[in-house]
Amino acid sequence: MSLYVLEGLRPWVIQRVSAVYIVLFSFYTIYSLLTAGQFSYESWKDWLYHPFNTTVTGVFIIALLFHAWIGMRDIVLDYVKNIMLRIFILAMLMGVLIGSALWAFRILLLSVVS
Amino acid sequence: MNNRPVYLNLLKIRLPVTGVVSIAHRISGVLLFLSIPFAVYLLDLSVASEQSFANVNELLQQPTLVVLQVLLLWSLVHHLIAGIRFLLIDAEVGIELAGARSGAWIVFISEALVILLIVGGLYL
Repeated sequence: MSLYVLEGLRPWVIQRVSAVYIVLFSFYTIYSLLTAGQFSYESWKDWLYHPFNTTVTGVFIIALLFHAWIGMRDIVLDYVKNIMLRIFILAMLMGVLIGSALWAFRILLLSVVS
Repeated sequence: MNNRPVYLNLLKIRLPVTGVVSIAHRISGVLLFLSIPFAVYLLDLSVASEQSFANVNELLQQPTLVVLQVLLLWSLVHHLIAGIRFLLIDAEVGIELAGARSGAWIVFISEALVILLIVGGLYL
């Protein structure tokens, strides 16, 4: 059944590949924070809107979107047996994730536009 | 589904340490998921203007939000460290019982140290 979009070994692989990227991105941001010195509005914006950081943050949003979807989906499939309730909750989760991702992308791309 | 009786008393289950890491990984994952929209909202505020950046700074120092931040900090640190352990188990490192158990203890001990280090660095 293709209801849950991803089947078989594929979600398992995506979960792990995205996890590795998220770990690397986390270490990179922690490193950036520790070496930043003064943390101000200007330095924060400069960091986020540096082309490299905007790019790796954009990839992070995509990785997190998949990672969170597969994780939450697995939990719903484990505990929610009623099929209608399952579809309802999954749709809500998908809505929250896609909405958040689009919002985050808008924030990241605003600097490119303005 | 069959009609056999199910006896499931969560208080009577003695979960091994590896199981505690596992369920904590789930709980922390759910908490992190729930924090996503709020994190994006704060990200939006933090770049919108100098004034809203200062507002975020002030907001995050509210006592109730500090409690939430510590909870989310635990979620993040646990999910990250336990996640690395699960990746190692996928790579067949620490897959036998003794190794899995000591791995689980290493997760809890190292996450406690990391959290103390971060909280100490931020608030002291």
